[in-house]
Amino acid sequence: MADAVVIPQAKPVQPALQFLRVIPGVLLLAAIGYAGKLLEQNVGAYAKAHHWTFPNIEYVLWAIVLGLVISNTVGVLEIFRAGVATYEFWLKAGIVLLGARFLLGDILKLGGISLVLVAIEITGSIAFMTFLGRAFKLKPKLTSLLAVGSAVCGVSAIIATKGAIEADDEDSSFSIAAILALGAFALFTFPLIGHFLHLSDKAYGLWAGLGVDNTAEATAAGALYSDAAGKLAVLVKSTRNAMIGFVVLAYAVYWASRGQAKTVGNKAAFLWQKFPKFVLGFLLISILATYHVFTKDQVGALANLSRWAFLLTFAGVGLRTNFREMRKQGLRPFAVGAIGEVVIAGFTLGLVYSAGKIFGW
Amino acid sequence: MSAEEKTVNAGSRWRLSLDTWAVLAAFLAALLIRAGVFKHVPW
Repeated sequence: MADAVVIPQAKPVQPALQFLRVIPGVLLLAAIGYAGKLLEQNVGAYAKAHHWTFPNIEYVLWAIVLGLVISNTVGVLEIFRAGVATYEFWLKAGIVLLGARFLLGDILKLGGISLVLVAIEITGSIAFMTFLGRAFKLKPKLTSLLAVGSAVCGVSAIIATKGAIEADDEDSSFSIAAILALGAFALFTFPLIGHFLHLSDKAYGLWAGLGVDNTAEATAAGALYSDAAGKLAVLVKSTRNAMIGFVVLAYAVYWASRGQAKTVGNKAAFLWQKFPKFVLGFLLISILATYHVFTKDQVGALANLSRWAFLLTFAGVGLRTNFREMRKQGLRPFAVGAIGEVVIAGFTLGLVYSAGKIFGW
Repeated sequence: MSAEEKTVNAGSRWRLSLDTWAVLAAFLAALLIRAGVFKHVPW
């Protein structure tokens, strides 16, 4: 999470200078996102005017694809990189603002169901990834990183766990590359499978939140299906994110007990440090909206602001996905990740189906 | 933990995390909308 941004900075930079450094990249995110929005509006209208058969492609997909094309052809120039990295900031601000569209009662109800599903998903995913890592004879700490990445919240969880279990940089690079590549793959396959299976918005949103690892990709995969599915995917994914501290703590204690990581002193402080604060922000905004602190128009304005923040995020998802860089990381961790993700996707889909039967969706 | 990481952690004690900045920015935006500074956000 925050560590992902703070740790790589080798030289201290003046805050004002740091602010100026991010401007070109943020403008690039905004330009790509807005281009995606314009393409959504105009391509469909143009095709219709010329009697072409053309699928309605949403701005989410346009923004991601434009970012992917730039990243994998001309590449992202150095001047834009600091700003492009802010897509995580826009994602989290967008999630907090999205809280205005949830009533607290809905969160408690859906959050309660998703908490049970998340607990099953995390346990099953960690167990299966650990088994796979051993079967493929991966290094134990690399296996731990892949397990946490696919069970909880992708890159953020890997970075948090890396520090806690003192894993190698190489292991974390392998894991991050595998999780990012598979996240990009899930982004396109989840909506297709969802439509093929005629999943309801609720079922699909739950599945995307449970099955897609990175928060940005889960948000995008949900939004690609429908607005309602996107909302639910964010809620379920945030529930998964909230578990990060417990999972990382468990791994830290495990590796410390084997003498291969430092002992965790104050466990409560450790949990608070790892807890994603944007989840609290999301809940607080939802409480304020539930108790009518905002008028209906103001809730609409907050929701639109959230959409703009997500627009920048989706552009960033495309821009930071570079397939050449991912290929350099090797095949075995990727194979373990791919097999694991396919099984976890099937497993979580089964969970959603079962929950649907129980709760009558 | 390497010496380099220890240094980084010690230096970052007073820095707000990315999450916290995102929450603060979102609440500032919500406050401005609540106060009527931004009456309408188009989409």
